[in-house]
Amino acid sequence: MDQIIVSLMNGVIYGLLLFMVSAGLTLIFGMMGVLNFAHASFYMLGAYFAYTLQGVIGFWLALVVSPVLVGLVGVVVERFFLRRVHHHGHAHELLLTFGLSFIVAESIKLFFGNFPVDYRIPASLDVSAFSVGGAQYPLYRLLMGGIAIAMFVLIYLLLTHTRVGIVVRSAIYKPRMAEALGHNVPLVFMGVFGVGAALAGLAGAVAGAFYTTNPNMALELGVMVFVVVVVGGLGSLGGAMLASLLIGVVTSLAVAVDRSLADLFALFGAGDWATGVGGLMTLKVSSLSATIPFALMLLILLVRPSGLMGEKG
Amino acid sequence: MKTGLLLILAGVAALAALPFLLSQGLLNAAIQMLIAALFASAYNLLCGQAGMLSFGHAAYFGVGAFGTVHAMNAIGGAGLLPTPLMPLAGAACGLVFGAIAGWFATQRTGTYFAMITLAIAELVHSLAPHLKGLFGGEAGMSTMRMPAWGFDFGSTTQVYYLTLAWVLASVGLLYLFTRTPMGRLSYGLRENSHRLRFLGYNVHGLGMMVFAISAMFSGIAGGLQVVSNESANYVVFDPALSAAVVLNTYIGGVTMFLGPALGAALMTFFGYAVSDLTQSWLLYQGILFVGVMMFMPSGLTGLIGTTGRLRQRIGLSKLLPVVLLSIAAALLLSMGGTFAVELLQRVFSQDYRALARLDPGNPWPPVTLLSRAWSPASMATWAVPVVLIGAGAVLAWVGRRSLNQAVEQTVDQGAAT
Amino acid sequence: MSDPVLSIRGLRKAFGPTEIMRGVDLDLLGAERHALIGPNGAGKSTLFHLISGHLAPTAGTIHFDGHAIGGRTPQAINRLGLARSFQITNIFPKLTVFENVRLAVMRPHGLAYTFWKFIDRDRRVREETHRLLELVRLSARASTVAGEMAYSEQRSLEIAMTLASDPKVILLDEPMAGMSNEETHYTAELIMEVTKGRALMLVEHDMDVVFALSDRISVLVYGQVIATGTPDEIRANASVKEAYLGEEVSE
Repeated sequence: MDQIIVSLMNGVIYGLLLFMVSAGLTLIFGMMGVLNFAHASFYMLGAYFAYTLQGVIGFWLALVVSPVLVGLVGVVVERFFLRRVHHHGHAHELLLTFGLSFIVAESIKLFFGNFPVDYRIPASLDVSAFSVGGAQYPLYRLLMGGIAIAMFVLIYLLLTHTRVGIVVRSAIYKPRMAEALGHNVPLVFMGVFGVGAALAGLAGAVAGAFYTTNPNMALELGVMVFVVVVVGGLGSLGGAMLASLLIGVVTSLAVAVDRSLADLFALFGAGDWATGVGGLMTLKVSSLSATIPFALMLLILLVRPSGLMGEKG
Repeated sequence: MKTGLLLILAGVAALAALPFLLSQGLLNAAIQMLIAALFASAYNLLCGQAGMLSFGHAAYFGVGAFGTVHAMNAIGGAGLLPTPLMPLAGAACGLVFGAIAGWFATQRTGTYFAMITLAIAELVHSLAPHLKGLFGGEAGMSTMRMPAWGFDFGSTTQVYYLTLAWVLASVGLLYLFTRTPMGRLSYGLRENSHRLRFLGYNVHGLGMMVFAISAMFSGIAGGLQVVSNESANYVVFDPALSAAVVLNTYIGGVTMFLGPALGAALMTFFGYAVSDLTQSWLLYQGILFVGVMMFMPSGLTGLIGTTGRLRQRIGLSKLLPVVLLSIAAALLLSMGGTFAVELLQRVFSQDYRALARLDPGNPWPPVTLLSRAWSPASMATWAVPVVLIGAGAVLAWVGRRSLNQAVEQTVDQGAAT
Repeated sequence: MSDPVLSIRGLRKAFGPTEIMRGVDLDLLGAERHALIGPNGAGKSTLFHLISGHLAPTAGTIHFDGHAIGGRTPQAINRLGLARSFQITNIFPKLTVFENVRLAVMRPHGLAYTFWKFIDRDRRVREETHRLLELVRLSARASTVAGEMAYSEQRSLEIAMTLASDPKVILLDEPMAGMSNEETHYTAELIMEVTKGRALMLVEHDMDVVFALSDRISVLVYGQVIATGTPDEIRANASVKEAYLGEEVSE
């Protein structure tokens, strides 16, 4: 039982982290119609910037400065790269961001090496918050979840209760009208892109210290974010949250399950046969935990192609 | 049209003559180039023609590869098919898996579609290490080519001709496909799949079939690689291979039918040639790709068409300086960029940092580049790439200006007459 | 006279809380030319979307040739014999004019999934494509890239593609938009010619064309049909004048 609670908490926190990154992606896609393949690269950059800055200005300051730097990178990407190819169409933009993500990954390998770097949480934070069933639950995990929730609340309040927020929402919904009303829509686009990037960077800075920081983290997370977006429905922040939590929790619970399909068949007396078949039958669910989100995505495509909360068609 | 046909025949003849001109090592590289060219052409059917961007195409290459390796090992090693027909196993597996994956992926379009293809590839990539029976685990699976039809298939030359035959036949079929109704419809899918619905077409079914055919030819390419390497490993499902085919295809250019094939051949060749010289080859590829996407959207082969059209518009005498300036600019930019990247790579490498730590009095020991020692601390070292890139940028700007001037002059002349 | 070939009853369409179609009843008789007029935003294009399968109705029924087609896919409806053109030109921009029409011609000849024949060799398809190009006066532009043509020529291309499947019912959405007087005149005659024996529903803003071409006219205002009748009846109808026509038609 305790194991389940721990897994649930881990899953929720991982889901919140996923949401931090996918929220930015959803916002940017809703606004500009372009899926930024390099979005997860911002996540990776956040981790690496924080790692570099940690030695110079300390962990907490690095957590603040790193997202700002990533946001600046995002602004540069939008202004000097995406804007130039906007008129060539969505496919072109997608390819360009794909290329950019490739360059970022290779540049990271150039500067930091093709292996994980030692980005760790400071010893002062490496404590447990409380104990659950004899095991210690790390404080830092709670911190990650807390930061994610704080971000979500902040963005929501910003979008719904401030003038800037209203302008942004109108630019997302009806950019030409907003421009006609005198708002500097290109500036808004640049800003939202930068903020989305900074959000992903913050997630990276926070999570990179706990999980691993390596040149492949953009791809690993990026694929998950895409699955979130397909499952949740693009353009829906609520869907992104739902899908993120779902994937986080399911993956986390699966890791704890040391059973396989053969064990399920054993309940019906067909255990020996299933073990004899081998292959997928004898694979433990824990080994498959990484593939479950993909299976979920395929299921959604079968049953509800527009996503859990997406619009039809 | 005639010149095109002659060029192709000349190309085929040159390819057929290669075993007599190249060493075994280079011939092996040529085999890999052919396989990459086929894979890119198969990929282009889906992405350049039908407009469906797939970011996970390595899955079908890999499925074809493993299907072939199993077919080769079947019946106690004798093989399910005679060796020359082995790629058919790759084709069959690619087709079936492509049809299933395509059914899912074509439920959505555009960027959604791209995401789904990536996820399917990652699904296979993460599942493969666990299914040791199918994919052989860390070490992969190995096999041996069996003699057939009077050949022993022991020499590289024989494998080369087998690969060449299959690649020529497959690329030929892919070309003929563009002249069939379904081939024309795939262009329709790219241009306006929405309208196709209102013309009575089942767009989902069409998309799925095009996907399956593209996967089939990708499977043939995978099978050819297994026949050549006599082994298959789940590393083939790595996203890097899916990325490579995307980069190759667009660097080559999707406006010409053979563009992706030529791009893939070129990139594969460069990969072979320079991978000993530099560790940053992938970074260069990425930079080239982004450069092409930003400044030459129709790729390297598209340049041919663009130059031809420009020649008609502004005449050879005005075109020549522009071309020379562009080539010079490209050379200078490449040299400067490469210098900078190589310098950075050395300065940030593990070995260098260890070396620097050894002697605290000398924190910036020199690096070796082009058989010379360069000190990272000195301005002169960094001045080299800066000057090269700067000069290249200036030349590019001058070239662009003279091109614009030449075009404007033609317009004025046209208006005057 | 004849049974209606297209029969709409109580058709409603809502997008969230906004109701665009508020209960439309309409009959289209076989072989009649029926114009649909109304102020901007009345829902004329939406009605076409609902009939052609682009949108599914929120309520109500659409019957075409004995089949209930409300909510069916566009391809299914087209195969039953209903074709439509689009208000915003919906062609294949980077393909040639010839290719555009040929794509439309292939399906009625059963050539969708065919990958074992060369399309250039198919004489029937080629001749049919040329015939259609001839009809809309685009033969000279056969090798032109469709996206590079003048707007009015693209509208003609639209019409050619719509006719390719030899439909029983044709829906034309502002076919003459952007055309000069001469082009409008030619296209109006073209429409008269090719819709003989077919049912046509036409949305057009050019009132001269509407009144000259139609057997009957329906007036759509705020998602409802407020009047249906012959051109003379509509001209004389007071509520129509009030809602839409204004001074223009009252001599």
